[in-house]
Amino acid sequence: MQHAADELPMRQRLMHWIEHLEHILPAQAPIRDFVHHNTLHGLQHLPFAEALAAAHRLTGAATYWPEAQFHAAYAAGRIGRDDLLQALTEVGIDDLADWVIPGVKRQDVLLASLLQPSTLPVASWQAWAARELGGHESPLLQAAERLAQAIAGEPAPAVEAWPATALARWNSLCERVGQTWTLRRLLEHLSGENVLEKVRSILQRHLAAHLDLGVAAWRNPQREAGFFAAWRASAGLDLSWEIDDLHNVRDEILHLSSDAADVLIDELGRLMPDDRLWPGYLERLALEQPGWAGMFLWRDRHPLVGDGARVEMVDYLAVRVLLERLLCEDLMRRLTGVPMAFDELRGYYATELAEFYVRDALRQGGLDEALQDQAVRLLEAEAHGAADEAAWQALAERIAASRPEREVGEMAQRLFGLCAQLPWSADEVAALSPAAGRAVLAVADSLDPLRRGQIWLQAYERYYREQLFSALTANQGRRPLPAMPSAQVVMCMDDREEGTRRHLEEIAPDIVTYGAAGFFGVPMLWQGLDDARPTALCPVVVQPRHLVREQPAPGAEAAAAGHARRRERRLGWREAFAQQTRYAAFSGPVLTVLGAVPALAELAATTLAPGWFGGVLQRLRQSGAGSLPTELALTAAEPANPTPETPQAGFTDAEQVERVAAFLRMIGLSSGFAPLVLIFGHGSGSRNNPHLSAYDCGACSGRHGGPNARVLAAMANRPAVRAGLAGIGIVIPETSWFIAAEHNTCDDGIEWYDLESVPSRFQPALDRLVHQLGEACRAHAAERCRRLASAPTRPSPWLARQHMIGRANDISQARPELGHATNAAAFIGRRMMSRGLFLDRRVFLISYDPETDDDQGRIVESILLAAGPVGAGIALEYYFSTVDNARFGCGSKITHNITGLFGVMEGADSDLRTGLPWQMVEIHEPMRLLVVVEQTTAVLTGILQRQPPLQELVGNGWITLAAKDPASPAIALYCPRRGWLPWSGPAVLPQVARSADWFAGESAPLAPAIILGGAT
Amino acid sequence: MMVLLRALPDWVWLVPALPLLAVVINGLRVLFGRAIGDAAEPLTARLSSLAALAGLLILLALDFLALSDGAPGHRRLGHWFGSGNWEATFSFLLDRLSLALGTLTALIGWLVMRFSANYLHREAGFHRFFIALSFFLAGIQLVLLAGNGLLAFVGWEMCGVSSFLLIGYAWQRPVATGNALFAFVTNRGGDAGFLLALGLAAAWLGGFEWTVLSKAAQISVVNDRLLIIGFVIAALAKSAQLPFSAWISRALEGPTPSSAIFYGAVMIHAGVYLLLRLEPLLLQVPDVMAGLVVAGLLTALYAWLCGLVQTDVKSALVFATLFQVALMFVEIGFGWTTLALVHCCLHAAWRAWHFLVAPSWLSLTRGRPAPPPAWLRRNQWLYTAALQRFWLDRLGQTLLVEPTAAFSRDVRGLETHFIDHAIGRPGEGRTVQADRPLVLADGLPGRILAGLSDQLQRLENRLLLRGRGGLAEQWLHRLGGYLRTLENLLEQPRYLMMAVMATFVVIL
Repeated sequence: MQHAADELPMRQRLMHWIEHLEHILPAQAPIRDFVHHNTLHGLQHLPFAEALAAAHRLTGAATYWPEAQFHAAYAAGRIGRDDLLQALTEVGIDDLADWVIPGVKRQDVLLASLLQPSTLPVASWQAWAARELGGHESPLLQAAERLAQAIAGEPAPAVEAWPATALARWNSLCERVGQTWTLRRLLEHLSGENVLEKVRSILQRHLAAHLDLGVAAWRNPQREAGFFAAWRASAGLDLSWEIDDLHNVRDEILHLSSDAADVLIDELGRLMPDDRLWPGYLERLALEQPGWAGMFLWRDRHPLVGDGARVEMVDYLAVRVLLERLLCEDLMRRLTGVPMAFDELRGYYATELAEFYVRDALRQGGLDEALQDQAVRLLEAEAHGAADEAAWQALAERIAASRPEREVGEMAQRLFGLCAQLPWSADEVAALSPAAGRAVLAVADSLDPLRRGQIWLQAYERYYREQLFSALTANQGRRPLPAMPSAQVVMCMDDREEGTRRHLEEIAPDIVTYGAAGFFGVPMLWQGLDDARPTALCPVVVQPRHLVREQPAPGAEAAAAGHARRRERRLGWREAFAQQTRYAAFSGPVLTVLGAVPALAELAATTLAPGWFGGVLQRLRQSGAGSLPTELALTAAEPANPTPETPQAGFTDAEQVERVAAFLRMIGLSSGFAPLVLIFGHGSGSRNNPHLSAYDCGACSGRHGGPNARVLAAMANRPAVRAGLAGIGIVIPETSWFIAAEHNTCDDGIEWYDLESVPSRFQPALDRLVHQLGEACRAHAAERCRRLASAPTRPSPWLARQHMIGRANDISQARPELGHATNAAAFIGRRMMSRGLFLDRRVFLISYDPETDDDQGRIVESILLAAGPVGAGIALEYYFSTVDNARFGCGSKITHNITGLFGVMEGADSDLRTGLPWQMVEIHEPMRLLVVVEQTTAVLTGILQRQPPLQELVGNGWITLAAKDPASPAIALYCPRRGWLPWSGPAVLPQVARSADWFAGESAPLAPAIILGGAT
Repeated sequence: MMVLLRALPDWVWLVPALPLLAVVINGLRVLFGRAIGDAAEPLTARLSSLAALAGLLILLALDFLALSDGAPGHRRLGHWFGSGNWEATFSFLLDRLSLALGTLTALIGWLVMRFSANYLHREAGFHRFFIALSFFLAGIQLVLLAGNGLLAFVGWEMCGVSSFLLIGYAWQRPVATGNALFAFVTNRGGDAGFLLALGLAAAWLGGFEWTVLSKAAQISVVNDRLLIIGFVIAALAKSAQLPFSAWISRALEGPTPSSAIFYGAVMIHAGVYLLLRLEPLLLQVPDVMAGLVVAGLLTALYAWLCGLVQTDVKSALVFATLFQVALMFVEIGFGWTTLALVHCCLHAAWRAWHFLVAPSWLSLTRGRPAPPPAWLRRNQWLYTAALQRFWLDRLGQTLLVEPTAAFSRDVRGLETHFIDHAIGRPGEGRTVQADRPLVLADGLPGRILAGLSDQLQRLENRLLLRGRGGLAEQWLHRLGGYLRTLENLLEQPRYLMMAVMATFVVIL
């Protein structure tokens, strides 16, 4: 027993290390509350490129799109040569105009190196093709081969030198353990056997059982005592150790200390004697199963979720380290024939160099087929008996002998690729001296893969940015807003609503639209009539302190009670059928027999005619429930000093005035109210979709934003609030009325709220607006069809809407809608700057009037603070899930399996998958969000200096900021290295009469265009 | 109309044949590189679901016929092969049992095909999936409709192969391929039973027809028992009853629709079907029926306990399925075959729905399920055992899969060390005769060929290459003279006419 004082610092350090894990593990909440966030949120304090490099080192994930994708974009004309050249400058590569060899500049070589195909045919393939297919071996390749031979000189006598190389390599690999590798990783490299598979299958069931939020009926009897205790209680009785030939393990587990931290420290010491390596080791270990570790840590940090059993990260790490030690020891024993620890293994392979050399060469790849086959056979022979020393020795020598030849071959290939791009003829290459060849290769190799990715990304972003800037310049002052609008429609800033707004303005030129974060300035807890408990409807970073309830209108209480009873009965039966046929021994078979025929009928109906059947179900439900008038419990009489824990029911009059005034001022609507002001929230409805909330409103924590719209409209209609507003200079006349609705972004339907309370004098205007908005949504549906392969091509708006209804109700549809897949930019400014532009649903549109803002830009500051992280979160989550869907995303939906109601696995035994599914990001063009603010550079500089969160986002390059001058067409781009750079470029854009003319028949991303129709 | 309908039973072979045709067409399209990109998907999906729909329509028409005229019964469509005292035929048995299950299977199969067309859109394995699913549909219909055991066995194997292909759908994941192999190897145990039973049937009964098998009273009870035990083993393995249960919980790596049709709705019930089909035979051996009750009860207990602790939806559903299939075995064991048939059909329909809406679980359920009784809840050992699924999959791995793998390794060792040397390998040839360095050979066939070529070479040398006086040249000269004469004669009109007439005579 150690002395308590010695122990204390180590425990504190442990807690500190665990805290650090928050920066690198996925921070995804249980899947019901999916909210977009920057996948690399923990590295956000670093500049973008550095953070990506760090993430790549930590996780091995690709942090840029694969180069082949960029090449395809280049071939498709979505990146230009100019963009690449500019990108070389932007990332800060100097001396681009220097001569590498006479006639060839540095930038030419770099460009050639970027453009050379990532998979070149290898020389042996080319030779084979020439022989078998009757072609000629390319003279250029032959010249390149000769040049490579000349550069390499005589093959080095590597045959004798291999033991020294092998020893150095073995030592360098051992150094990695604790730095970038775990012991498991090293052993996998040696043996090809991945202990992690075993660790996961041992651990996964226990983890899921401990974290479960409502699938399992039977829980571990010891779970109240925490994960470590629960695991120990079960593992001590587990017979699998014996079955797996891991004897004594059960004894060891039974004799473990009951304190997880003790076990963790003890086991780390046995695994890695050097305690300086421990934090790094824990980090690696946690990252080997990022999904489970991340969920565990999330629950550790959110103890209120779940049913109160302790979830502590140290428990997880203790078990994880223990398993690592046990299974690695077992593997080392099997590998070498004797039980040993890591430092003994190090000594072992330092003497068995031939064996190591062969194993290493096999894992590194690049051996020719015959050698590879022999190596595999030898490893197998070693695993089932013993291969003799001479065999290892002989094979090692053969491999060593094959190396120089292979290296020359690879060099020839690289030279060939470069020369083909430069472009040089075979004669020119033949005339090159070895020194010149070496110089060219050195320049080309000066770009490491991460750097290359960065350059490609910058070029890719630049191509789109240029288009967008041209569009903004061309649109400058072209479209003054109607002076007397018939209606004002405030939508969410969501990129999907760009399409709806555009179509609405085309259909009704006298309507003015606005955009704002979809909680409409009302952070609240909301409890709808059918909700069991309140949910927060506001950005995740905000903690709401007001609760708004929906309640039956006076006189409808009895109807509401009946409604609640019927609903409860319906849901109760549904749940009984779904749940009890799963686990109940007696009622299960009975319910199965009763439910079978209706289930099969439902399955047939919903598979064959999803849209029709969805409609039938909805009508049935409505006719059963009847129309139930409801109202909002909106107003609190007295201020109650609310906190997030004890929220106040409703807002006081003063709070309402303040919320409405702040919101209207923020979007620049403080005078000139139209007869109708529509607050238009949004949400998404689809079926059979675990990632449902990823399609909902990001500003409402992944839920529907309709209630916020409804609350804001109700506030603004109250006479008391209007009086208060008039007192501070916002006069809403009697001739104007606020209404609210919710847009279903999946089926493009609209749900209107509280229409019965609209005074009859607004009825004609309302009828017109309802009609126009419906038409706009149908036109929008037609536009959405163009990106969906299974949708009709060139559909009529009506057909398109029918298709979308079918999609939303289709249980077999893995892509009910495309979510934010097309997001790429954000505009913060007056609609005037973008009205009449076709922006392909790619731009977040946030309304802001620079003229009503003060000199400091206080309003735009608050917009940037609220919308910046939301937009960046969405864009970056899509970015990372796209560039490496296997690691940052959660893979394909089709094998997903809901686990514990908190996440999805692939099949029944995998890591917990976080991020976005492949179906959501499939057509995404991964780039950082370009934020264009209509404000002067001086004001924006001031804001950046004042606000550290924005400094982090913009200064570190997680989003790109540009300023559009409010008074002139001038645009400046902010470069973290060089400050504001004025933009100049062409301002010519194609012009079309209507959006539909531009997108009809197109399925790829579209460039901006000017829409001539819909002018006032 | 009714005439056409009455001829339909002879066309029932189309039900399994059409999906097979879809497999062939889609397979050829993939082979010839025609199945690439979005544009190729609808054709693949439509062909597959059209084949499934056609099967459904045929079966519905047969159902109609059966309702109006009575079931068509056993139909022998052709001779397959046979020898001496036994014969295998192409025959189908259309009775209450096969028509009910066949129709339901066709309906579920068609719906799952339709479901998959959207669900698997743009998956790398889209065409592969549809090929495997159509292949399965052909196989299972063969099992259900076949009139004899041998034909059913062919379908039985087709199901096994397609199950293997779909568990390993995500072949990039080692877990998926490992589990596919595990399921495949475990199922071979059942196949051994099936084959044994078929062999015995051929020997003792002279055929595989179900009608013959059900009249097995002519053989002794001991033989009867041996015969039925073979089939029971097959049924236990296919329906994942104890002791074969482990494979099913590891079979969930495929896409959701394939999990639904294989392990929820259709394939898991194949064992139940087989026993229902052999009901007359089964009734003669009460001790085997008692065995079925025991196996069913044990499996039900196992599945119920394991189901309680599952934390992921697909595993929970698969144990629930296993539980009710086990109850069907119990029902059969007690001789309540009609109940078992009704239960089987309704359960298949329910689970198809249940599995396909598994991704909706978040919205289907609200609260946590009720916990089990307290005595069970607190039992740590039983909890651990249930969580580890009573260690069956590990035992299966250790006792079955690893020995099989070791055996295959040994066979490969035999091949590389002995057979390869005997047969010879490319690129390893050695000179056979020192004076002919160009002739290289390895292995027995290589040496034989080298020897043969040596002999031919000699022949050639002797006949042709000995300059102008060679024997062959003289012969050829003489033959040339004869031919020239014949040609001259034929050029004269009378001989030409004679030749033409002779040709006519031969033709007529």
